[in-house]
Amino acid sequence: MSVIEYDVIVIGAGVAGLTAGSWLSGQGLKVALVTTGEPTACLSTGCIDVCAQNEDPLQGIAHLPAEHPFHLVSNATIHQALNDFQQIMTDMGMSYTGGLGKNRRILSAIGTFKTTCLTPSTMQTSPQNENEKIHIITFTGLKDFYPGYIISRFPNASFSIYNAGVPTTMGIAANFEDDTFLEAFILWLEKQNIREDKIAFPAVLGLESAMSVKERIEHRLERPIFEIPTIPPSMPGRRLFNGLKDHFRRKGGVIYWGWPVAGVEKTGRQIEAVIAESRGRPNSLNARAFILATGSFVGGGLWAKRDTIMEKVFNLPVFVPGGQEVWFDQDYFSVNHGIGETGIAVDSSFRPKGCPWDNIFVCGAILAHTEALKNGCGHGFAIATAQAAAQCCLEHIR
Amino acid sequence: MIKTDVIIIGGGATGCGIARDLALRGIPHCLIEKGDFAAGATGACHGLLHSGGRYAVSDQVAAKECYDENMIMRRIGEKCVEPTGGLFVRLPGDSKIFRERFLRSCEEIGIPTEILSSTKALELVPNLNPDIEEAIKVPDCSIDPFRLCMLNMRTSELKGGLSFTRHKVTEIVQSHGRCIGVKALDAATGDEKEIHGNIIVNASGAWTNLIAKLAGCEVPLTLSKGSLVITNHRLTDMVINRLRPSSDGDIIVPNEAVCLAGTTSLAVEDPDKITIQPAEVDTIIGEAGRMIPHFNNTRVIRAFSGVRPLLKSQKLDSREISRGFQIIDHQNGMYSIVGGKLTTFRLMAEKMVDTIMNAFNLKRACETAEKPLDGQEELSGYPLSKRLADMKDIVCECELVTRKHVERIIAQTGTRHVGDISHRTRLGMGPCQGGFCTFRALGVMHDMNILTAEQSVQSLREFLQRRFRGIRYALWGDQLREEQLVEYIYLGILAMEKNK
Repeated sequence: MSVIEYDVIVIGAGVAGLTAGSWLSGQGLKVALVTTGEPTACLSTGCIDVCAQNEDPLQGIAHLPAEHPFHLVSNATIHQALNDFQQIMTDMGMSYTGGLGKNRRILSAIGTFKTTCLTPSTMQTSPQNENEKIHIITFTGLKDFYPGYIISRFPNASFSIYNAGVPTTMGIAANFEDDTFLEAFILWLEKQNIREDKIAFPAVLGLESAMSVKERIEHRLERPIFEIPTIPPSMPGRRLFNGLKDHFRRKGGVIYWGWPVAGVEKTGRQIEAVIAESRGRPNSLNARAFILATGSFVGGGLWAKRDTIMEKVFNLPVFVPGGQEVWFDQDYFSVNHGIGETGIAVDSSFRPKGCPWDNIFVCGAILAHTEALKNGCGHGFAIATAQAAAQCCLEHIR
Repeated sequence: MIKTDVIIIGGGATGCGIARDLALRGIPHCLIEKGDFAAGATGACHGLLHSGGRYAVSDQVAAKECYDENMIMRRIGEKCVEPTGGLFVRLPGDSKIFRERFLRSCEEIGIPTEILSSTKALELVPNLNPDIEEAIKVPDCSIDPFRLCMLNMRTSELKGGLSFTRHKVTEIVQSHGRCIGVKALDAATGDEKEIHGNIIVNASGAWTNLIAKLAGCEVPLTLSKGSLVITNHRLTDMVINRLRPSSDGDIIVPNEAVCLAGTTSLAVEDPDKITIQPAEVDTIIGEAGRMIPHFNNTRVIRAFSGVRPLLKSQKLDSREISRGFQIIDHQNGMYSIVGGKLTTFRLMAEKMVDTIMNAFNLKRACETAEKPLDGQEELSGYPLSKRLADMKDIVCECELVTRKHVERIIAQTGTRHVGDISHRTRLGMGPCQGGFCTFRALGVMHDMNILTAEQSVQSLREFLQRRFRGIRYALWGDQLREEQLVEYIYLGILAMEKNK
């Protein structure tokens, strides 16, 4: 069995894991990240939801229930973490708009408004009310975007259809990376004689080059354009993941991709190593501390059996609000599905409560009491808790 | 006002069977259904065409009816009935005395049986519990109950019969003590239709008494709720029954790509207010798992309940009440037809129409047992080969339903309900249970200008709410994971409003 030594092993390549990993690498530590594969960030809108309970996200956080893990992060750290994030994404060529002072609204693909805090700059000019004059571009055969949903709510909206040759968000985004395609598209767009103030697109404007594609279209059409996030697979989500991942590597971080953790080695109150499998062969990844950022159920950090819920890597104690009967309310649209509270409860230094080991730190969606959908605590929560947990981890090591 | 001869209330298997029978005997008729076809107990059953074995010991008359009808359905529905065959398996500890009675009864009724060793049975169904003592082979079959209704309605349509779905009967029009028609409310438009006829047939299943009351009549029923679960995999190619007196969770039926297991039997008061108990799901999975151990770790995608309208009886356990049927002449131009089983729907329709013919002194014999079902080619399932022929434009990845297919159904039916599309295409019936494709199906309706913004959001809300009722008790493992993703899509990405 190969044995590799690190200062810190991060488990999970989502927004939380990559943020924690980058921060620790930035502190001069030798960091590796183990992941089974693509994170749920790739399915997300790419927007950074901090707390949607109030127009002012920090006010919203202040009013969250006492047990909410956001209270474990100081406002200074939240500010710092989000500033760092914006800087990272700017450096990676995918800048974000907005700030902690006030939440923003972006147009959703069914014509409603979604509250979030930071948005990719490709969504910067998303309309703020239904009366704005927008022209929507869609693509032949694209099954994940229907302008009709928006048009029926926006009296001043119209749409045109472009044949991109492929019917999927991923395929169209790949086409936008090609200069000839983009130029032909712009020529077509110019001929559409669009009168509306803004032009809307499903989020397919390229993968790496979205910002420059946006700027080029805006320059030629002489008006703002914006993207509307689509259902998975989501290009803005993928851009976010790519940006954070490339940044982590740039900082010297190592990623073990497609390596499920199959076991743990421990001595006394310390985890010594995780055993990760590569093509069925075990590898011992040793470290002084471990950051658990494996996400909730969708991410794969938690797993529900018929009547119990398990944490998959360390088998940590999981906070569960009660039996299966309280996991879900009868009403789908209820905000009180007990399952939202499920997760790992931690102490003030992000160590799991009731855990027999001292060198595990937990951050992101796997934390108990998050209620991500109810509170609108998404990637912003992951970024903030990741930096806070990484700080605690660094203190522990030193 | 619409005039016809016979008004049928209820679009379950019985009502649809009556429409076909009337059509073949040349009687004008009009069927009214408050939801979609097969919306009640018909659509909430196993889809099992009984060989009769299940009732052989407890009710020989019902068992014989089942066997005869099973044979008829194989003949007239050759292309839509799946002749799976069935096994009655005996587990260690199951009564040997029951086995003897079962074999004797089957022989008396004429149900062919074949005794198989456990080795032989495992060759036929490799997923069976290897500990079974033996299995008895019987001629069970399976059918998609929704398709069965559609096939019957096809004949009615071809012969000029009328039908209105999503129309709720609000009044039975009477004159001089006789029922002469009905008033029905169109759920989509809120318009009222008045339909007059000479005879009203109340075939509304669990709602029979509620309809009868509109005409001042009474039909005492015992309502018995039965729950079922659906798995993501077809764990068996044969129907698996437990060789013991009828009990909870003793039948597993393969249907298309999935398996259905059930049922339970609990008395209920109101057919519109039924909920599944988590304990029922536990029982069904536990019992099914004893026959097919994989059941315990296979992904369950949904649980649902139907209400059996059983004839009122003094018997306390609803399982002991006869599964036979009865026609009640209310002596005012209205008949109610109650009881029975999916398997015997054709026979029920035949007897009902015979009664009507007698009342009018008309002589034309029933032809439903001889004539093949119309439209089987088109409606007979939706084989993979057909689905794979057009891989472009797929809107439902789980069940491989294309946009063209969805557009055709919308154009044909003018429906605004995603559920109607599901019934006709299987859209949204796979593992994600409509999580991705409902957004798309409604988007297609938008493109076709069928829906306004309010209607689409309302439709989406209703769909998600209804969908959740079904999956609520199947949420663990991968299904819970998928559900969390779907919740994120609708409430997170698409920002559907939560309750205030």
